[in-house]
Amino acid sequence: MTGRKMNTGNIKSSLGAQIRRDIALGWRGRGQALVMLGFFLIIITLFPLAAGPDEAQLRPIAIPVIWIAAMLASLAGFTRIFADDVACGWVDQVALSPLPLALYALARAAVHWALTALPMLVVTPLMGLMLYLEPVGMPPLLLALALGTMAMTLLGLIGAALTEGARGGTGLLAVLVLPLAVPVLIFGVLASAPADGGIVTPHLMLLGAVLLVLLALAPLVAAMALAEAEAETGA
Amino acid sequence: MVAEPTQSRIGASDRPAAGLVIDNVALVRGMRVIQPALSHVIAPGGMTLLTGPNGSGKSTLLRAIAGRLRPMAGTITCAAPILYIGHADGLATALSGRRNLVDWAGLNGLPVDVDVIEAALAALAAGPFADLPVRMLSRGQRRRLALARLALSPAQALWLLDEPAAGLDRAAEAGLDRLIAAHLDRGGMVMAATHTPLATGRTHAELALEAQP
Repeated sequence: MTGRKMNTGNIKSSLGAQIRRDIALGWRGRGQALVMLGFFLIIITLFPLAAGPDEAQLRPIAIPVIWIAAMLASLAGFTRIFADDVACGWVDQVALSPLPLALYALARAAVHWALTALPMLVVTPLMGLMLYLEPVGMPPLLLALALGTMAMTLLGLIGAALTEGARGGTGLLAVLVLPLAVPVLIFGVLASAPADGGIVTPHLMLLGAVLLVLLALAPLVAAMALAEAEAETGA
Repeated sequence: MVAEPTQSRIGASDRPAAGLVIDNVALVRGMRVIQPALSHVIAPGGMTLLTGPNGSGKSTLLRAIAGRLRPMAGTITCAAPILYIGHADGLATALSGRRNLVDWAGLNGLPVDVDVIEAALAALAAGPFADLPVRMLSRGQRRRLALARLALSPAQALWLLDEPAAGLDRAAEAGLDRLIAAHLDRGGMVMAATHTPLATGRTHAELALEAQP
């Protein structure tokens, strides 16, 4: 109902500029990604310390422990997805640009996943060995974990956009996102330990289905929440 | 006390081709009505200075025109592209001023050639500190980087400026005045909330908002 956007460009080049900016910002803020990785490692390391280095005890809980550690660690980073951009007024600029807010949110999620979840996937085999996981069990675990962290990031996208500007955002975000992540956790853990050795199981397909639904919905929900988000010093 | 939402939109015949039309707009902040019924028109080449005491709704009106919040009633129509510079400058503090400007231009599909960016920075004498991370810069310097976007604007755009001169030194203020004058000359529109005179010597309309009790 109000003005046109500055429509001299096309969406693709706008998206490219946004992604380049996200990568530059993510790289300069890589300390935060390292903290999340450290959090992931520490949660997993606590289990052998608490349960004792007994193979019979650790091996059955290896996969659930890695999954829960990945979920908790990724939760710690979600509040940052939109916070700076809303506070400094960048979201205002995106809203007036040719780039739809949903695509902007999706770009944020993709770069966030690459910078925070990928490093976790890289160290997961090491963590698996520490918990007596057989090397042959790694590929299904990594594949399921890759899909699962993507789904988690998309849930975090919704949570981050909805809690933007709310007091006590982090706690609220955890309470909001973790119950929604239950299906991801259930299918993910089942897909990580296939019974008959095949990697593509029905559980993995269900996990993929959850991911696709989130891929379609999360950016739109986030865009609706961001449509009228206030900058800190605005108004 | 709240104006009825207007059902009839202004006909195409009695509004300027690419102007801004604010028709009977009611603004709220929180649960409080701060402006019950505002109407105003800006034609291409026109400038309106938005004045009024703190809390009278100047920033809220600019955000409503920019589409960042919905007016409670009334309609705002504008066919021209909008360039909004609010209190929040939209600069990423970890990146340099130049990088911020290039990213913004890329986002909007505007030219990002080195010369063009350099000229935009020069318009507000922001060149000397354009390569430092924004977090190292003063408020006035950040303001100048944000305002450098204006030099990249399409000709017919509507500029929405919220206290554009706040924190600027004399030289930067003169640069801003030159940008505004040039924009008006080529048929652009400007609406600026301000407490100080802006682009003196240019004819302009004034929209004085009154604080609601």
